[in-house]
Amino acid sequence: MSPIRKVLIANRGEIACRIAATLREMGIAPVAVYSDADRGALHARIVDEAHGIGPAEPRASYLNAEALIAAAKQSGATAIHPGYGFLAENGDFAAAVEAAGLAFIGPTPEQIRTLGDKRAARALAARAKVPVVPGAEGADAATLAREAKKLGYPLIVKAALGGGGKGMRVVEREQDLREAIEAAQRIAASAFGDATVYLEKRLERPRHVEVQVLGDGKGDVIHLFERECSLQRRHQKVVEESPSPATGEALRERLAFAAVAIASATRYRGAGTVEFLVEPGGDFYFLEMNTRLQVEHPVTEMVTGVDLVRAQVAIAAEGALPLEQGDVVRRGHAIEARVYAEDAAANFLPQAGRALEVRWPRAPFVRVDRGIESGDEVPVHYDPILGKVVAFGTDRAAALVRLAAALDETLIHGVTTNLPFLRALVRAREVERGAFDVEWIEREFLAGFAALATAPAPEIALLAAALAEAVGAAAPARGAGAAAGPRPDDAFRGAGRWRLPGLG
Amino acid sequence: MRLAFRDRDRVREVEVAPLAPGRFRVVLDGAPVEIGVEDLGGGRLRIHTPQGAVLAEVTAAGSARFVRVHGMDFVLEREVSARPRARGRGTHAKRGSGGLEAPMPGVVTRVLVQAGEAVRQGQPLVAIEAMKMEHVLRAPRDGKVRAVAARKGEMVAGGTALVELEETEGS
Repeated sequence: MSPIRKVLIANRGEIACRIAATLREMGIAPVAVYSDADRGALHARIVDEAHGIGPAEPRASYLNAEALIAAAKQSGATAIHPGYGFLAENGDFAAAVEAAGLAFIGPTPEQIRTLGDKRAARALAARAKVPVVPGAEGADAATLAREAKKLGYPLIVKAALGGGGKGMRVVEREQDLREAIEAAQRIAASAFGDATVYLEKRLERPRHVEVQVLGDGKGDVIHLFERECSLQRRHQKVVEESPSPATGEALRERLAFAAVAIASATRYRGAGTVEFLVEPGGDFYFLEMNTRLQVEHPVTEMVTGVDLVRAQVAIAAEGALPLEQGDVVRRGHAIEARVYAEDAAANFLPQAGRALEVRWPRAPFVRVDRGIESGDEVPVHYDPILGKVVAFGTDRAAALVRLAAALDETLIHGVTTNLPFLRALVRAREVERGAFDVEWIEREFLAGFAALATAPAPEIALLAAALAEAVGAAAPARGAGAAAGPRPDDAFRGAGRWRLPGLG
Repeated sequence: MRLAFRDRDRVREVEVAPLAPGRFRVVLDGAPVEIGVEDLGGGRLRIHTPQGAVLAEVTAAGSARFVRVHGMDFVLEREVSARPRARGRGTHAKRGSGGLEAPMPGVVTRVLVQAGEAVRQGQPLVAIEAMKMEHVLRAPRDGKVRAVAARKGEMVAGGTALVELEETEGS
């Protein structure tokens, strides 16, 4: 294996920025890519070298394997880091990268295909003697409908090649099954390039607990403890933490053992996450294995002190684990909140537009993985994550208080975000007590939040708006200035060719 | 000066009269108060109310005012004309009597009805996809489709009218 000196990051936003930071720290030159909608985006302007890869539509740019590999070749990069989402779990892409003579910073194409096909992954888990959630497969809607009868309702329709909850549909009644299958197939086809879906029994009030693993590709696998990811809306994680407040030492060990067993069975290479659903009684079921870096990886990094991106690069470069199981020590508690451009009070509808004023928190023991700064555009085409705020504490209560304060300090004006939702969520009594499951937000929290969010604005807010008009003090749209030319602080950020007047 | 702000589906009026530099008489919801204001620059104001001082941050984006006080964010719409029910932005747009609008910016993925077609309440009309999320616009009531503005594959802004239903008669 040859040393890696330059890496193309086949992603955008906060994760591209986060990967670039570790690469730089390792003395590796990061190469960014950007679509037409991301000209001048943060991830493309914090690096020395950035390549345009095509039109805004993901298929034409961030999902365009040919353009990405061509950009890597042109830049002289010898490896590609896929981040999460987009092509991160696409076996054909990994194979094409390797066929082009580049290293893919991730698992082998075969591992991605096997574990990415949720049905094959379930079979693999069963062979490793790990329980799986009862489910059913079928080639067409009619077969699935027959299987659904046997499985019983409520059930969940899932994309076979899906991940991160995208395209998932909960079906309560038989008459809603067909529409749910069709919708899931469409989303699966557009998001994952394969319309295959399968059914899974819906467990009662389970928690989502996942285990981070690292493998050397030769059969050696270690774990980095678990993450609790039960706080979800629309099957999308929104607040994650490590350790899980509901997992005692005995269960923690059993989960870790099961995760290592599954990863070892494939001689897993790189960083991966084995996801489980845990029932209130402590029984757990394998859900899926994600063959990539997770959005919520920072909480693991903060409690173990292990940089997972560094570990990924080390495994790709040396074919060996940079640390042993005995080196992995857990300390304290970390909690992450995902900041999204979405209107939590209006069914979490994604929002787009220009983030005129952005101020991320700066506080001790708070980490921010950011994807935007003041004046940046939030395009309509991509996942609306803007950044992640992560707080560390010696215990859970300390971490939670820090997270709440950090979210209060975060300011994003110009585009509607879920910040009000996050601030209310981290202060909820059940969250403080750690007493929640994957459906808790939608079952118990949302109605109260919606009432709060749609209540009349307090008088002081109207007063502020009115007085700002009276003294002419409302901050003018900084974005308008950016549209007219480069912002002063961009001048030294390297080549400004995509921020010339008229292009910004 | 008399100012009106839309707060989701309410319109609220504020009257502001200067008394001295940095001092105003403000009437909000009928009650007059004397308020002191320090303009700290960059959209920051320190507001001195009879209850104490409050730091506020205000950002203007078109008619929208993003207001931040006490660690909370609010989006208000400045109403400039006296015309009632000025069209809001994005998801805050009110539905017209017969019109159905895109709830978010996105791409039209399916158009399921044609002009002249009779539809039942709850029937899917148009599907929009944005950021891997599909949103299906459904008929809010039984009726007949007057016009379909949505075209498959078309990118639409939040608030764009996609389907128009005939006004219901005699109900």
